[in-house]
Amino acid sequence: MSTDGIKTLHGLPEQVIFCKKCVQNNQRPSSSREFVKKDTKIETVGFGDDGICDACKWYEEKQKIDWAEREKMLAALCDKYRRTDGTYDVIVPASGGKDSIMVALELKNKFGMNPLTVTWAPHVYTEVGWHNQHAMIDAGLDNILVTPNGKVHRTLTRLAFENLVNPFQPFIIGQKNVAPRAALQYGVQLIMYGENHAEAHNKIGENYSPLMNIEHFTREGDEMDLYFGGVHINELPKHGIELKEMNPYIPLKADDVRNAGIEVHYYSFYHNWSPMENYYYAKEHSNFQSNPDGRSEGTYSKFASLDDRIDGQHYYTMFIKFGQGRCMNDANRDIRDGFISREEAVELCNKYDGEFPKKYFAEVLEYMGISEERYWEVINAARSPHLWEKVDGEWVRKYKVS
Amino acid sequence: MALNRVIARLDIKQNRLIKGMHLEGWRFLPKPPGEYCKQYYQQGIDEILYIDVVASLYGRDALIELIKETTNNVFVPITAGGGVKTVDDAWQLLRAGADKVAVCTGAIKNPQLITDIADRFGAQCMVLSVQAQKNKTSGKYECYFDIGRENSGLEVNEWIAQGIELGAGEILLTSIDREGTRKGLDLDLIKLVSEKINIPLIASGGAGNVAHIGEAMAAGANATAIAYGLHFNSFTVQQAKEALLAQEIEVRQTW
Repeated sequence: MSTDGIKTLHGLPEQVIFCKKCVQNNQRPSSSREFVKKDTKIETVGFGDDGICDACKWYEEKQKIDWAEREKMLAALCDKYRRTDGTYDVIVPASGGKDSIMVALELKNKFGMNPLTVTWAPHVYTEVGWHNQHAMIDAGLDNILVTPNGKVHRTLTRLAFENLVNPFQPFIIGQKNVAPRAALQYGVQLIMYGENHAEAHNKIGENYSPLMNIEHFTREGDEMDLYFGGVHINELPKHGIELKEMNPYIPLKADDVRNAGIEVHYYSFYHNWSPMENYYYAKEHSNFQSNPDGRSEGTYSKFASLDDRIDGQHYYTMFIKFGQGRCMNDANRDIRDGFISREEAVELCNKYDGEFPKKYFAEVLEYMGISEERYWEVINAARSPHLWEKVDGEWVRKYKVS
Repeated sequence: MALNRVIARLDIKQNRLIKGMHLEGWRFLPKPPGEYCKQYYQQGIDEILYIDVVASLYGRDALIELIKETTNNVFVPITAGGGVKTVDDAWQLLRAGADKVAVCTGAIKNPQLITDIADRFGAQCMVLSVQAQKNKTSGKYECYFDIGRENSGLEVNEWIAQGIELGAGEILLTSIDREGTRKGLDLDLIKLVSEKINIPLIASGGAGNVAHIGEAMAAGANATAIAYGLHFNSFTVQQAKEALLAQEIEVRQTW
């Protein structure tokens, strides 16, 4: 496969393989610190010599977990942090989606905690996203909605799209900061995330700890060698953004987090996590609504990632860069959770993956302030030659899952 | 006048019984589907409705073996649907032992299929399956397909009128808004449709207790399809029928 002359973009492995158990390819990068300079050396999802991806290997391990034991660990953790003076004792980062509704309500009703949900606003709320945000609140949860300066957020989103082909980066940075900030402000020491992304595409070893590494939202000392949307923070004024406007994005000082005794845990360490089961839970315990228009563009599901009009672009840019579309993302999960077979997943991926998210496309362009021509210029330049080729003037994928 | 019917609806994925909400979610039930059918038959169910909920997404004929097996010990009419795109698809289901076929996606994509199936096997065999969802902006009910995943933009009564003209002999009307919620059937939708048609109407989606079934019949349904209530033992077929009889809604008695 290693023909001379074929190069890859984004630091991707040259040979494309698909997991034999799920439909994950070996091109998807692992999560890394977002606010540092992005170099060409990246880590991608791990595969064994047997052609099985790390996520599937982890699922074999996961079958051995004694969930009753884990629930006891969670109860003990809650006992350690529970407060009885009326103050909040746990921060739950929440989008008002099915997953955050489940985590926050279980902590409150099953474990007697006093959670504060904290939401980092989507770029542009969808109607159903706004409905679900309130469904979460109405189910009996306090919430803080943190919304960044729209002018700055648009510019950062455009820069992240143009420079990194990752329009979601500013959102992700803000989202990772927002819960620890609230924890510091409210003097809360426990933060409970939902799913550990190691289950899907990060290093397998991360699954053995309930804790999130604080490096994803902190910096050491007074470090200001920070990058946003591929631009050094000192260069942002050239793009019309002043330093003082970067407040929500600048990572916390690691010592502040350590000294405050803040711990960030994943609920998926303590609870057998399943998006499908969370959907049923949210339906039964709140007024959560699935996508009113039917399935979401690019996949078969109706219940995931509904709140932001730009969501579709998040998945589409991943499809262009890594050959992994939104459907593949959903299907991998459903295979591992036992809801679909690999054969079904292959058919679903070939039916839905790469479907262009046109529903909010005009709004996305307007949001970033770019033309459609510019959009495609950026997209097409991000197509790695080992994944894409032009046939009769049309871009076609070189690899399809089978 | 024909008796009203109580129908057990079994949504099937890969030979397993599932129960979703709003036609989404693939939570499995523990036992093989045939065992549920046998139990409902013994309780006096009037019909069985098998829907392969993934067939239209990626073309499968998972129901064939299940229907064959079911006909060994269940002696009430079986309606089968999911992924029927051609007359031959319908024939495969009928030959396996189904009495009627329910068609949704295939009919929306190719309305002529309704006529072809009705001409070949009779209108009584051609059940037009309509997955209806209320458009919150316009207030109109729209027809979805691919198990509630795609909006055809067709208005429910317009599509049903067209379907009847093309040869449909029965309507299976599923409310996506109510499906799996146990909050009661969408009575407005049932009234809206039943007032306009003179062929049998099966209402589906939202039956959470026996009273809901009577409400649907009173609103104009000739039959109610029940999933959750039966699969999770909220009530038995006999309890449902006793409640209907108490309201003077005529149903077949087997006890």
